[in-house]
Amino acid sequence: METRKIVLGQKNVADLDEELPTEPMKINMGPSHPAMHGTIRMVLTLDGERVRDADIEMGYMHRCFEKEAEHATFQQIFPYADRLNYVSPMLNNVGWAMAVEKLLGIAKAIPERAEYIRVIVGEMSRISDHLTCVGASAMELGAFTPFLYLIKAREWVWALLEEISGARLTHSYVRIGGVVADMPPGWADKSLDTLKKIEQALDDSEALLTRNRIFRDRMEGVGVSSAEAAIADGWSGPCLRSTGVAYDVRKDAPYSVYDRFEFDVPVGTRGDNYDRYLVRLYEIKQSIRILRQAFAQAPAGEILMPDYRVTLPPKKQVYNTIEGMIAHFKLIMDGIRVPAGEAYSYTEGGNGELGFYVVSDGTGRPFRAHCRAPCYPILQSIPRQINGALVSDIVPTFGMVNYIAGECER
Amino acid sequence: MTTVPMVTLTVDDKPVTVPKGTNVLDAALKLGIDISFFCYHPGLSIAACCRQCLVEIAGNPKLQPSCQVPAAEGMKVISSSARVSKAREQMLEFTLVNHPVDCPICDKAGECTLQKLYAEWDAQPSRVVLEKVHKPKRVDLGPTIVLDQERCILCTRCIRVCDEVAGVHQLEMAHRGDHEVLTTAPGQLLDNPYSLNTVDVCPVGALTSKDFRFSMRAWELYKTDSVCNGCATGCNIEIHHRDNRIYRLVPRPNEDVNRHWMCDEGRLTYKDVHQGRLAAPLVDGLPTSWDKALAAAAAKLQAALDADRGAVGVVLSAGHANEENYLAARLAREFLGVERIYWLGRPPVPERADKILRDADVNPNAAGVAAVAGKGAGDAAALERDLAAGKLKGLLVLGSDAPGAAASDKAAALDALVVIAAHERGLAPRAHAALPCGDWPELHATITNRQGRVQRLRAAFPPPGQALAGWEVLVRLGKKLGAALDYATPRAVFNEMVGAVPAFAGADWGGESLTVQLRFAASRG
Repeated sequence: METRKIVLGQKNVADLDEELPTEPMKINMGPSHPAMHGTIRMVLTLDGERVRDADIEMGYMHRCFEKEAEHATFQQIFPYADRLNYVSPMLNNVGWAMAVEKLLGIAKAIPERAEYIRVIVGEMSRISDHLTCVGASAMELGAFTPFLYLIKAREWVWALLEEISGARLTHSYVRIGGVVADMPPGWADKSLDTLKKIEQALDDSEALLTRNRIFRDRMEGVGVSSAEAAIADGWSGPCLRSTGVAYDVRKDAPYSVYDRFEFDVPVGTRGDNYDRYLVRLYEIKQSIRILRQAFAQAPAGEILMPDYRVTLPPKKQVYNTIEGMIAHFKLIMDGIRVPAGEAYSYTEGGNGELGFYVVSDGTGRPFRAHCRAPCYPILQSIPRQINGALVSDIVPTFGMVNYIAGECER
Repeated sequence: MTTVPMVTLTVDDKPVTVPKGTNVLDAALKLGIDISFFCYHPGLSIAACCRQCLVEIAGNPKLQPSCQVPAAEGMKVISSSARVSKAREQMLEFTLVNHPVDCPICDKAGECTLQKLYAEWDAQPSRVVLEKVHKPKRVDLGPTIVLDQERCILCTRCIRVCDEVAGVHQLEMAHRGDHEVLTTAPGQLLDNPYSLNTVDVCPVGALTSKDFRFSMRAWELYKTDSVCNGCATGCNIEIHHRDNRIYRLVPRPNEDVNRHWMCDEGRLTYKDVHQGRLAAPLVDGLPTSWDKALAAAAAKLQAALDADRGAVGVVLSAGHANEENYLAARLAREFLGVERIYWLGRPPVPERADKILRDADVNPNAAGVAAVAGKGAGDAAALERDLAAGKLKGLLVLGSDAPGAAASDKAAALDALVVIAAHERGLAPRAHAALPCGDWPELHATITNRQGRVQRLRAAFPPPGQALAGWEVLVRLGKKLGAALDYATPRAVFNEMVGAVPAFAGADWGGESLTVQLRFAASRG
């Protein structure tokens, strides 16, 4: 079996490569292991410290998202979608809403202010997603300070999201036809202030990580993937961009109002863990750039399209008129009547292309719903990425996949 | 046989051929074109008073009510134009002007035609700023029905049900304009034996059944297709149930048996299903396990058979399904060598018979048990005679019915009395061994109505406690007695019975009909 050369700083590589009489050993990493975020099990075949094979077993967090969706009205699926990638629930909310709106044929009828708010909460979610990924990975490599800086920054983002949606994590904030609540007074200014603080936290963490000898030794040249292999495996998002492919759904198939913002798509050059770290770091900065433009451009107006067939009537109408009452009753009990047909809608999630495929049979509940979870295809490449590496290299490689069990296993 | 001439017309440019005399609405429905309506009902005469089914008919300057226009050769009907949609929307807006905001407390919510049509054809906010016209909300129309006059949309379906189904004119419209109300006809109460059909046909929640009112939200109920066990007519019904409890029985259309209707008494038969049930096997009146009860029952019967095979009888039941009676008769004749076969049922009630649906025979399966028992079987009188004459030493009884008091005392004093019953009444509490079985809503089985039509019962929920389906009890008891009865499903019993009993020749077990929650049964109303 071919052994790949691993550069481990200035350590005594020759010692490690010295011939010893070994035989392959099978060992479980996970499902409950400090470095396996989420419950996942890797059955490793080890030759000494070297990984020869990894059999990835997922499914410990399978929540039957797709099957449950068949029993819920289109609106009731938002809480399930929250729990897909639970570090960026707003992006899942937006993705699901857009799929149903596409099927309903109302994608162009969403009020402009709602589109801007969707972008704002979505980009905040993306920031929270990347902060978590970078912070947790740094911590797993022993860098605890940046972890605290970044998680504190994430906490600020979550406080903002809590203020607008009422929940820290499971927001269920987006609605088919718009969003449920407008920005609270003063929220935009508070958000802009927070962005400055986040930038400071990013600078502090970057100073501790980007040129840190230990960090770079553990990240650089580890978990390398070529662009071809990444595309063949179906990668997307920051992991694909780390290999040099500038594919970002927000740029390549602009949805919502993303075509109105100026932002760059950072790409890597070597496709290793270090590039994935850098791509995420710069993406946070691009998200902040988008947020500033969005706050500046967001127009006043409706946040929900006023159509009794799609969105709930205002409470005043529900309690005082029979028309509002029936519309409310039908939307809650029978759900939004979505015309028979099928639609695939995809957006840029925290981990890449987040797709929702919906089939409707004309009733208020999906006949079939499927979620294209971006980290699922990336996870399948781990055995290829860590083949021949050391056991300790699994940790940053797996960390940079940003495996989120709720999303991957649905 | 007379042939009805056919006419071809087009609805929304789609051609359809229907018998002459069919109305345009039915022709459109046949094509699958959705036309909204309130007052039209396939089982009733045409009133054309709701104006909800207006369509364009080429050559006619005004919109026409499609329920009242007979289809004609070459007629061109347009049901999807902007003009027709506008008319529907405006009619709904008009209907809703004085409709109360009652959905949260209305029994009909979830299966309301007004809700359904508003959501499908209108879905616009209210434009009315005036106070609604208020009317009495709790009008007691009779022993079974309460009327909310505010909710009524004046479609007159209920009046027509009384006139045309029950044959009595008990309801009427009074006053005019927005003061028009439904009320009882002078000197009348809504007390005919078909009164609850008015609740089914009511497109809104104006007429509510006193029995079902406020007991359960419609969408929380589960629906299972079955057949009423109230009398020999065998009206086709849906059982609406939840958590092993029935909340109501509603008729299921069958043109050959009950059309769209059923009687009030039949609707309330579900109450007995939950009353005084035998939920565990009894030996000498005390609950025990199946093993002990079956052993005790078999030992008693075997002793009686060994003593005098000619003095042992098997009693079938007109209240039980074909399969159970067939198995009991087969066990008696083929394996136990018993020739004394009787059948019991509830005594007839001649005063309830009418020419509509109600039959004097209040047993659901008299025709089926007669077919299974054969010519030599004795009726209740024969059983009482034989008991009085002391010709019997042992009895295996199917069902909760009992012979007369004197005969019951005699039966209780027999050397062996084994009862398979769903209820703890009749002979069951006095038997040496009483074996619990499922009642009709708990069974996959067939019953035969007075027309000789074999109809399928479907299990809505399992039998209570330790009770088992009757066929299974008989198979277990038979095995204890050394009989080679071996069936895996009631369908296997049915298939064998169809080949063995001439009256069932050609009968079919029927297709799948799954229990679904009304929430998921698409939009009702």
